Amino acid sequence: MIEKLKFFLGVTRNNLWQFRTRNLFSVTIICLSFLTVGIFLSLVNNLRATARGLAANMSIVFYLDRDLAPEAVEAIRQEISRPAFVEQVGLVSPEQALERFRTNFPDLADVVAGLKGNPFPPSLELRVNARASASQEVAAFVEGLKKRPGVTDVLFNRDWVEKMQGFSRLAGAVGAFLGGILILTSFFIISNVVKLNVFARKNEIEILRMVGGTNLFIRIPFWLEGITLGLLGSLLSLALLFVVIRLFPVYLGASLGALQELLRFRYPDPGQVLALLGGGAATGFIGSATSVSKFLKV
Amino acid sequence: MIELFHIWKQYQKPYWALSDVSLQINDGSFYFITGPSGSGKTTLLKTIFREILPTEGQILINGVNILKVPDHRIYTLRRSMGIVFQDFRLMFHKTVFDNVAVPLQVLGVGRKEIRRRVFATLQKVNLHQKMWELPGRLSYGEQQRVAIARAIVNNPEIILADEPTGNLDPELAFEIVSLFKQINKQGATVIIGSHDRELIRHFGDNILFLQKGKIVGKEAHA
Repeated sequence: MIEKLKFFLGVTRNNLWQFRTRNLFSVTIICLSFLTVGIFLSLVNNLRATARGLAANMSIVFYLDRDLAPEAVEAIRQEISRPAFVEQVGLVSPEQALERFRTNFPDLADVVAGLKGNPFPPSLELRVNARASASQEVAAFVEGLKKRPGVTDVLFNRDWVEKMQGFSRLAGAVGAFLGGILILTSFFIISNVVKLNVFARKNEIEILRMVGGTNLFIRIPFWLEGITLGLLGSLLSLALLFVVIRLFPVYLGASLGALQELLRFRYPDPGQVLALLGGGAATGFIGSATSVSKFLKV
Repeated sequence: MIELFHIWKQYQKPYWALSDVSLQINDGSFYFITGPSGSGKTTLLKTIFREILPTEGQILINGVNILKVPDHRIYTLRRSMGIVFQDFRLMFHKTVFDNVAVPLQVLGVGRKEIRRRVFATLQKVNLHQKMWELPGRLSYGEQQRVAIARAIVNNPEIILADEPTGNLDPELAFEIVSLFKQINKQGATVIIGSHDRELIRHFGDNILFLQKGKIVGKEAHA
């Protein structure tokens, strides 16, 4: 078995070397296709991570009536603590709110000093489960509480999370579309390169048939050739992706400000690396298998 | 034993490449099939090798009807035969050793055994000293000996040769057929398609004359 595998690998190596120019061409195309997929993947990774971060830090603030009795505040607190997605509820008194304002906006100290009273109402700050933050359930819950007596206003900034998730979905779709087209192109290129290799080795195939070579024996080197081309292409694309991820921020500099954070690429995780390599091998294998079965009637 | 029963082959109407050919070739025979160009020599050899199927008729090799062997099992039949062509059909980007090793690689023989058997076979055809040469650097006679070595390396029971001396000068042709004769003496059935009367007269034990696809004569000198 090992002897046979060694033999097939040897044949594959020789064949790849024999037609190195056209094989190099197909490796380049596969590499560019998978690089495109990889770039979108790392962009989506970043957008998802940003959306997750925003969702994890997202809070909902319920501003309460100033004259509300402590029992009524407690009743509202009890009510908003009930849903399963609520992780934490905290009461912020007007004094605490004023203090927080002073700390967060030291430049406005003069304004605060000029105030005759405390303009901040008491509020209940609620932290929800990151996964549920953008759900309709939370939105409906907030809408319901807006009309509750004692609640004067609600601050709920879920727009950013939704935008981030939308961006990530859009980038994923664009990546899948462009990558899909390019991978399909690579598939046809591999298929045609293998077809050319089959034609170029017609004489050899004829000899193999003549001496009693089985279909499998004749086909295996072509399959291995396709897999190797696919693997080499995707491996090269990963190497280039890592270079792009390292060099892109240097190229951008600080010119884009806040947008730069969104355009930051994140390294693909090990599962994604394996998927890209597996995708390359699969593209190569399918490309060569279809070509071989179509043009190698044995 | 090779038995052909009423073989007819038509490539294009209304011409028959083979017309009602019946033949029996015993094990260990040395046969010449001769006739002018287009007489059906190559078609007959290709039919025995099952490279083409006859339009009608039956072919039995050691009692097995080879026309009933499914396409995907043809390799079993091919492994019991060796074939040599006029144009050698060598892989010119591979060494003499690699060319001769192919039938053994197909059989899954181990590397050491391949080396041993290829060397022994190349010794038989007196090419062992050119084992690592590329066929393109050899003379026509040597190239044909490489093709013969490839045909006999796995000790097939039957060797078919289609005009194996067609590209060679008379001296080399004589040398090549002598080689076939030696192989035949070691037990293999050898069938050669040729129109070289000189060679046939010299070596022909059994001669089959074909004309327009029909057997028009048989001679047996053995």
